[in-house]
Amino acid sequence: MSQTIQVPNICEFMNRHLVDVFETMLSMKAIAVTETGVPQFDERVTGSVAFAGDHINGAVYLHLSTPFAARVAAAMLGLSPEDLGEPEVNDVVGEVTNMLTGGLKSWLCDSGAECAVSTPAIIRGSSFVIEPVPQVEREWLVFDCDRNRIVVEIHVKVG
Amino acid sequence: MATKILSVDDSRTIRLIVGKAFRPYDVVLLEAANGEEGLAVAAREKPDLIILDVTMPVMDGVTMLTKLKEDPALKAIPVIMLTAESGRENVLQIARLGVRDYLVKPFKEDQLIEKASRCVTLEKRPVATPA
Repeated sequence: MSQTIQVPNICEFMNRHLVDVFETMLSMKAIAVTETGVPQFDERVTGSVAFAGDHINGAVYLHLSTPFAARVAAAMLGLSPEDLGEPEVNDVVGEVTNMLTGGLKSWLCDSGAECAVSTPAIIRGSSFVIEPVPQVEREWLVFDCDRNRIVVEIHVKVG
Repeated sequence: MATKILSVDDSRTIRLIVGKAFRPYDVVLLEAANGEEGLAVAAREKPDLIILDVTMPVMDGVTMLTKLKEDPALKAIPVIMLTAESGRENVLQIARLGVRDYLVKPFKEDQLIEKASRCVTLEKRPVATPA
């Protein structure tokens, strides 16, 4: 690798990149906030995309409450939330997660840690927990967007 | 005659966004969910422009573009690649394939319109006026 990739650098990149994705694709202003402890969730829509390479692997999870996920989908497609069904909302959350992870992949590749990304997957529900496998670090990034919470969960194993 | 634009992307969201961007223009939007479908639609419809995703199941955008450039009947169609990956290597690989332009996700609709209008003529749809 041309430079050492560290988890705080990944989080720093993602803090900037999420704000950019929400601003560019949704015209929504997201602000990173500090929250201690494991975030608690109500019913939510979670997008996930994995990344894997010789020097790094992990996954990015984007958690949005179900009503906010519908608002995000409506903003992206220029439609009203009432006009959208679960498949459209799932597709938009998957695509936003794909953009977040695609940006991370580019940043990792430019830093010398080549990797590939998976296609997005969606989980819906309220009582699920994503447990990282041993030796994988987990970070939570929390954002406020017009009084809605956006949570990005990053699982990463370097080396 | 309306300009024909083919959007090839496995994400319905992106196809809808592309469609929304071109809605004010006199454009017929054709859609395909992967490279294989995209080649079939391109051969049948001879679009004026193709907006092509890179990472797709069945046949990815790079393979579709390579096959497109090998086909004498299709190789002149301009292609704008749409990619979520802005890494140097990725961009260089795309440039080497002979695309007209590329756009990195996230993107704004007016960026897409600007790049498309460098490849094809985009005319505003006539606005219906009350009788």
